[in-house]
Amino acid sequence: MLNVLLMDSGNDNALLEHSLIQHGFNCMRIAYGTVFLNIISDIKPDLLIFNVQSPSENLLSDLLSLNQQQPLPVLMFATDGHIDTINQAINAEISAYIANGFDCDRLPSVIYAALARFRQHQGLKTALEDARAQLEERKLIDRAKAILIQTQNFTENEAYHTLRKLAMDRNITLGEMAKNVIAMAALLK
Amino acid sequence: MKTFIKATEIWIPDKQRTQLEFGSGLYGALTEFKAASEQQHFAYDEGLPGKAWAQGHPVMLTEFEHSYFKRTAAAKQAGLTCGIAIPIFSGDFLLAVVMFLCGDDEDHAGAIEVWSNHHEADKLSVMDGYYGTLQDFEQLSRQTAMSKGEGIPGQVWASGMPVLIEDIGQPETFVRGVEAQKAGITTCLGIPVAHHKQQTYMMTFLSAKATPLAKRIQIWMPDAQGQHLVCQQGYSKKNNELAQIFETITVKKGEGALGRVWLTGMPIITGDHDAEYNPELDNLSTMLAIPVIEQGRLQAIVTFLF
Repeated sequence: MLNVLLMDSGNDNALLEHSLIQHGFNCMRIAYGTVFLNIISDIKPDLLIFNVQSPSENLLSDLLSLNQQQPLPVLMFATDGHIDTINQAINAEISAYIANGFDCDRLPSVIYAALARFRQHQGLKTALEDARAQLEERKLIDRAKAILIQTQNFTENEAYHTLRKLAMDRNITLGEMAKNVIAMAALLK
Repeated sequence: MKTFIKATEIWIPDKQRTQLEFGSGLYGALTEFKAASEQQHFAYDEGLPGKAWAQGHPVMLTEFEHSYFKRTAAAKQAGLTCGIAIPIFSGDFLLAVVMFLCGDDEDHAGAIEVWSNHHEADKLSVMDGYYGTLQDFEQLSRQTAMSKGEGIPGQVWASGMPVLIEDIGQPETFVRGVEAQKAGITTCLGIPVAHHKQQTYMMTFLSAKATPLAKRIQIWMPDAQGQHLVCQQGYSKKNNELAQIFETITVKKGEGALGRVWLTGMPIITGDHDAEYNPELDNLSTMLAIPVIEQGRLQAIVTFLF
């Protein structure tokens, strides 16, 4: 059963809470405040729901911090449907922003769509980080190879094989070995 | 650093050249001692670096309490019990003072000695020594005298060059070989450090294989044409193929850290000071390079790589 944390922040959430329970979600309801991030860290819900007039700057800032520290799917129902507010909410990496309040009948499909969106977004973020790391590693390897070519008069192929042998002997990645070569060159050259 | 030497630092004359100020240092995890050191200044003859400047030869303190050592409280807190200050002169003029700081430790076997012909003009004997827990070896060393060419201090005296012996078990090379082996000492580095009129001073660094002086030690010398620095010797506890690759390079004057040492005659500490130090890995992230200068010319550079 999905653990939903419903955060009270201005609007009356009694109907929303009742609807969540009726649709079979495990719902906990807590007031939003200064210890928001600590509470999330302790409770570790599967989904966070806000129902607000308009998200405050503090709330958007907290949600951005939450996303950086412990990413969670966040669903926000709001009365405010202004384009600027929606953009700010999306920039705070909210999974779904539903303007003009909630509809009890559509609640489960909105929640599942938010969860799916969150998973897809996380997947893309991970893939981007991996690609960045690979690119960074490639740059390090190229720099290390250039150092070996310059200092040892190696061909590119020889430089690569030397780097690979050093990495294998030490049981470390090519990228880590490249870092060692660069550090060593920086020390002596 | 989990080696026999726990911290190293370089003190340099300030703009007026009347005081020594902090140049750089390697302190490992001794962050509070580092903070206490960075703000220090030493006048001529003040504190351990100032004494080395005034006396013109290496000075060793094996007891900080009630001494002229200025950072006693911080040193005590850091577990440091011995300091060696080595002045680097070009002629009469001080370029820098290199400090080594050690701590008593049952697990760390090693010794640092200052040899000089202060007793007899043609014999070297121990003027100062730090032996940690090696009492028997200390007793023997303090009773030993060596002529020019004899043992490692004598070889350093005869050649005027640093000498690095990786296995000192051979009595013909190392006079105290048998006793050193008993004490667990395997490696010896000798460096000529000062020469004034008839007085000569050498340093010897003795270490056990399990607790080396540094991850790697190298001796670099200018080639016959005086155009490039060439690595004459490199030694580490474990074979380090990466270091060996870089020991085949030649370095021009002014090029990189070693080239700067040659150009300026100044010792240098370089590398990533913030890199996490792992004694078990053979990556080398920091280096102390000490020039050996004779009559205003660079004879060699000794590097301690950590």
